[in-house]
Amino acid sequence: MKPTLIFLALAGMAGLSVAAETAQPHAAGIESKGYLWNKPNKTLTRALKQKADPEKGKIAYEECRGCHKADASGRPDAGYPQLAGQHTEVLIKQMLDTRSGRRDNPRMHPFIEADAIPTKSIPDVAAYLHGLPVPDTNLKGAGKNLEHGKALYDKDCGNCHGAAGEGNGKEFHPKVASQHYPYLYRESMDVRDGIRRNADTKMVKILKSYSDEDIAAVSDYMSRLPPVQ
Amino acid sequence: MRHRSLQAIAGLTLFAGGIAFSSAAETVKGDPAKAAPIVERLCMACHGQDGNSLVPSFPKLAGQRPEYLLHEMQEYKTKHRDNEMMSPVVLELSAADMANLAVYFAAQKPVPGTPTEPGLLALGKKIYLEGNSESGLPSCDGCHEENGNGSARFPRIAGQNPEYTLEQFHLYATGKRKFGKKIMVTVAERITEQEAKAVAEYISSMP
Repeated sequence: MKPTLIFLALAGMAGLSVAAETAQPHAAGIESKGYLWNKPNKTLTRALKQKADPEKGKIAYEECRGCHKADASGRPDAGYPQLAGQHTEVLIKQMLDTRSGRRDNPRMHPFIEADAIPTKSIPDVAAYLHGLPVPDTNLKGAGKNLEHGKALYDKDCGNCHGAAGEGNGKEFHPKVASQHYPYLYRESMDVRDGIRRNADTKMVKILKSYSDEDIAAVSDYMSRLPPVQ
Repeated sequence: MRHRSLQAIAGLTLFAGGIAFSSAAETVKGDPAKAAPIVERLCMACHGQDGNSLVPSFPKLAGQRPEYLLHEMQEYKTKHRDNEMMSPVVLELSAADMANLAVYFAAQKPVPGTPTEPGLLALGKKIYLEGNSESGLPSCDGCHEENGNGSARFPRIAGQNPEYTLEQFHLYATGKRKFGKKIMVTVAERITEQEAKAVAEYISSMP
């Protein structure tokens, strides 16, 4: 089953037409030979170098608010991540990967296409989001297996994502502290299972040994790490 | 993306077929007094002299964003937006006429609508403010603001005739209205008929 179809099945589409949902580009990702997850291309390099203007980003972000909300706190029930305070480099890379079709997201794709947001606005939006206060109202997991989650996190995740879940922008490692549990769980599952096609191969290798329960425990732990501004 | 600039308004950049009709907070420069005779001759039969159309299928223009009004007239003229009523009318308008009309209707006082199916208002409000997380339908307030007043980039929709709003969803969903193509087309594809009716009712009730 193609990721797109899985996504549509999971999303339980209720609208009249879903035809356009599948019409998104497909860029080579983790399944391709010579894949390097953080290899910079021309568009990414240019976007990272661009002098960003958060005030312009605030305006360009308007069309994102219908899902990610005005305070960029996301929507856990819909699987929309919290974006406030995230590293600019991470945001830029993920927006560009989603646009090019290296990260499959038919639900978001129409809103990140060039006619919805010009390429030059992407760094502005990232700068605006990075400056927003990180809310601590995110949806946490069930809290049942937190010790196990912490042990896994400290052993396998903290090296890249930071002991406090603060991430590392320069390395494109996202901030994971106080992210919504359902989003962390879904993305970790997708990384493990090869559905997240722009994933870090090192992370895929680590998660291969994880059971669904392990992923739930570590996602729960991350969702409970206090906000890092 | 194609860019086109209108001489009638200094510095206003339009993205033809795109979503943004103003890249900054510039406003349209025009003279409402010069618009008045054109309104009487060409507009009032359908839109009302004060832009509060009483015919449910025709949009209210009173209090609308001038950037949006100007952009839509331009869209009719270039046939990006095609309509058998509007297309012949705008052919008679110069760039200056359109700027004057935009300023004229923007300055009129909008009269709130009367919902025709009050039973749908609760669902309409929920869709307007929350969207639908099952289908990926974004909420309307993200772009059009909680009060429906829009912004320099997005039109005011508060108080609009529900029949007109519903028809716009249908036009977007069938690819017949392309302005804001990906965003509103996607919204129109994801919204159900019942949700579209409900949100049109809620919008009409907004002051």
